[in-house]
Amino acid sequence: MTQQGAAGQLAMVFDLNKCMGCQTCSVACKVLWTREEGEEHQWWMSVNTQPGLGTPKAWEDMGGGWRDDTPVPGHQPTRAEFGGGWDFNYQEVLFGGRGRDAHLQPVDRGDGTTRWGMNWDEDQGGGTYPNSYYFYLPRLCNHCTRPVCVSACPSGAMYKRHEDGIVLRDESVCQGARFCMEACPYKKISFNYVRGVSQHCIACFPRLEEGVAPACARQCPGRLVFVGDAADPAGPIHRLVHEWKVALPLHEEYGTGPNIFYVPPLSPYRLHDDFSVDEETPRIPPEYLESLFGPRVHAALDTLRDEMATVRSGGTSELLDTLIVYRWHDLFGPYTVDPAGLDRSPERVAVQLGRTRAGATEGE
Amino acid sequence: MTDLTALELGAEALAPDDPAWAAAPPVTVPLVPVPVDAQRNAYVRAAWRDRPYGATPSASVSVATHGDRLLMRLEWDGSGPIAGEFPDACAVLFPQGDGPADPVTMGDHTSPVLVWQWRDRLPIQKGMPAVRHLVSTGPGMFRPAPDGASLDAASSVDGIRWSVVLTGPRSALGDRGRVAVAVWNGANEERAGIGAVSSEWSAVQA
Repeated sequence: MTQQGAAGQLAMVFDLNKCMGCQTCSVACKVLWTREEGEEHQWWMSVNTQPGLGTPKAWEDMGGGWRDDTPVPGHQPTRAEFGGGWDFNYQEVLFGGRGRDAHLQPVDRGDGTTRWGMNWDEDQGGGTYPNSYYFYLPRLCNHCTRPVCVSACPSGAMYKRHEDGIVLRDESVCQGARFCMEACPYKKISFNYVRGVSQHCIACFPRLEEGVAPACARQCPGRLVFVGDAADPAGPIHRLVHEWKVALPLHEEYGTGPNIFYVPPLSPYRLHDDFSVDEETPRIPPEYLESLFGPRVHAALDTLRDEMATVRSGGTSELLDTLIVYRWHDLFGPYTVDPAGLDRSPERVAVQLGRTRAGATEGE
Repeated sequence: MTDLTALELGAEALAPDDPAWAAAPPVTVPLVPVPVDAQRNAYVRAAWRDRPYGATPSASVSVATHGDRLLMRLEWDGSGPIAGEFPDACAVLFPQGDGPADPVTMGDHTSPVLVWQWRDRLPIQKGMPAVRHLVSTGPGMFRPAPDGASLDAASSVDGIRWSVVLTGPRSALGDRGRVAVAVWNGANEERAGIGAVSSEWSAVQA
């Protein structure tokens, strides 16, 4: 789905069957974009265990999005609901003479930030033994086709870039009103309390412009992140989303037209009380997956199972070959340039950092 | 229309408790909420239609000049030092151009309004300017003013009672010599076009 008038739409597909929750994507993003003061608690890319409350805490209950072409009021996630960005009591433990009776812990500043964090409920999941279950859900800005955050900004600091549909913000215009944070139903916008501006994933646009895939995708050890133009009929994203229909948006009912898609997770069968296998029921409840990915998730899972059965019986599957990703570069569409070969001089880095803060609006 | 008489000071009395302000008796300027239907932003209208805001009834305003500098001293009851996500804030608005800019709607595209906005800051925000120099073309539709006017502010608070002095170039008054003021209650999450503003322009007699 391309925004009307836009030349293209960057999209990504995450195959949740291959995500192992290693957070390499999160850290790749973190070290690249949110290392400065005021960004300590920001994780533009984050992986949470499902079922779970996620990041920020209980984000799915915070409202936002569109309903019948009307914006839905939402809650602005607080610093405490994001949590994290902690300082630790290194001085006390390492140099304060209390090494035997003090333990390393976050310093409680009284603002609630030590009671939640980016991956607080890791691996808790749902269900009960022997049918407990969980899977990992990587999340970033959806660079939506109908970005309600852009509509909610009174200053006009946010916009959807024409050439690739990326949602960006000119921080020199942003007044820190944070209506974008309220309106975003995915709660993937953070606030920089030091600089007084909102910030979110920029889809690594300086890398894209050099033909390099976003860091979260390129650094993923599981090779599960596809990047490309959603409208490219020959690309894997178009085929996974529109042809095979196995990649689905998260919470499509939010109405924003997300451009991040997910191949839903298959799971082993449940066990009966006598530990015999219930071959009718997958461990991850289908109704739970439907609550995330909508009713089309059942057909998507059926397709995946059918294709696997085909291969097991000696046949071939172009879909599974695509998801296996025999060649790493097949993930990245036109973004296969090795960033190690780029100009990384301090001058060049400074220019690009300036452009990220200006939402790509500054000339070079 | 409320008239404000500007006192010429011998020095730039930026501190709200500077004794020089005793010679400039404050004038009570009535404030009204920026109408929710005037909000140009559908999200803001949806989010605030049923929420009360802009309840600050008035601000006490004193005006002074010192050479080419204009000083505006505002006093009002807010919510006190920032304790939540949003700060108490105040602003002085100046109509620009010849259009019929409306203070209640903070200007429009054909009649922009110049804004000097002060906000309370967290200790970690001391790197942010004390005052923002903005152009408004509607409720909360603030963008940085194109010129680099030298603005400054000083504040004090007694409980929930703020005293703030904003200073900037006297030329902001233009030929019309009119100002309005606005305040935002941070505890009520007021910001941008959600706040209280003068119901009409005040004439400054310099």
